[in-house]
Amino acid sequence: MRIILFYDIDTTEKKGQRRLQKALKTARKYLTHVQKSVFEGNLTASGIERLKNEMLKVVDKEKDSLIIYILEDTTNYKREILTNIKDPTDNLI
Amino acid sequence: MGEVYYITTSGTLRRDENTILFENQDIKKKIPIENVSELFIVTEVSTNTKFFSLLSEYDIVAHFFNYYGYYIGSFYPRESKLSGHLIIKQVEHYLDKEQKLYLAKSFVIGSIINSEGIYKIDTKEHLEALKQASNTQEIMQVEGNFKKLCYKALEELTGWDFEARTKRPPQNPLNALISFGNSLVYAKVLGEIYHTPLNSTVSYLHEPSEKRHSLSLDMAEVFKPILSEGLIIELLKSKAITEKDFLEEAEYCYLNAEGRKKFLRAFDDLLKSTVYHPKLKRNVSLKTLIRLELYKLVKHLTGEEYYLPVNYHSLKR
Repeated sequence: MRIILFYDIDTTEKKGQRRLQKALKTARKYLTHVQKSVFEGNLTASGIERLKNEMLKVVDKEKDSLIIYILEDTTNYKREILTNIKDPTDNLI
Repeated sequence: MGEVYYITTSGTLRRDENTILFENQDIKKKIPIENVSELFIVTEVSTNTKFFSLLSEYDIVAHFFNYYGYYIGSFYPRESKLSGHLIIKQVEHYLDKEQKLYLAKSFVIGSIINSEGIYKIDTKEHLEALKQASNTQEIMQVEGNFKKLCYKALEELTGWDFEARTKRPPQNPLNALISFGNSLVYAKVLGEIYHTPLNSTVSYLHEPSEKRHSLSLDMAEVFKPILSEGLIIELLKSKAITEKDFLEEAEYCYLNAEGRKKFLRAFDDLLKSTVYHPKLKRNVSLKTLIRLELYKLVKHLTGEEYYLPVNYHSLKR
């Protein structure tokens, strides 16, 4: 299933900085980093559950925001890159 | 599940934190480990053991090709899907002359019926000759004769010169494309065998010799016409690949980096394209079709169902 994940980590305290680093590392394991706090990729149902679990261990549920879009495989969608950057999710490097 | 990643630019590949990092002077790219199913490394990279242990942890097969696009070998992680019972069955079928012949013929039949859809040549005579064949040598002969016809048709369809099949090194663009395409198919089939309990070294058409994953050569026969030759025809007809994409010298001819990229992109698109599977009653990708074919072989070996090679062109798109 296609996944889009983004977060907003509260970094007013020093602890927040560490959570931000950890969140980045965890998300990168599962998805491609496309923009500052936006990630994209394909995962199986079990992969999604593991991602959710791991991310929830990192973030502070009271202070941070963590949102995930799950597009079923049967969903039709169009994805356009409007600028001239190379597609970060490309599987041919 | 997950994506096949193709590395075509030189650099280093290593483990970084808990994922893969590809790095060179211009690019720094993290590859999400949970989303990798297989790696094709079609260039020169440097790497380390930590990278391999990460691949092993996630059951990821990595195939390596050298500077000229020659297949060097695969990193085949410690197998996690083992079945002693199936290995015994595999060997039984190898030792029994009739059983071995049945499977060897099946792979060639697969090759012939799938070639028929690509080249539109009459196959009746060859299938008949195959029926009469009583040993592997005769089967190989039938296959050889048939392949000659295919290559002739390939020349006519693409308008490129083929002359004769030359390997190590290939001497003209068509040969270079076939060499590259076929080695991708071998590697791809091997990558799928890894995820089944089949042992990749026990084979029926090709002799199981040491140092080779010969079962993947057997099964590749069924898929070469579709994934290699069919793709070549398409790429040349649509002029997606032209003379500029080759590195040609008097003695040899190879696809250059740009040509390889185009080929790999098309190969990946083809593997992802889907056909309707009448038995499963849903669309499956070609990648899955390879896996299903291997499961059919498992069923044959365990005596549940006779193996009959898939006729790709009879499946609805």
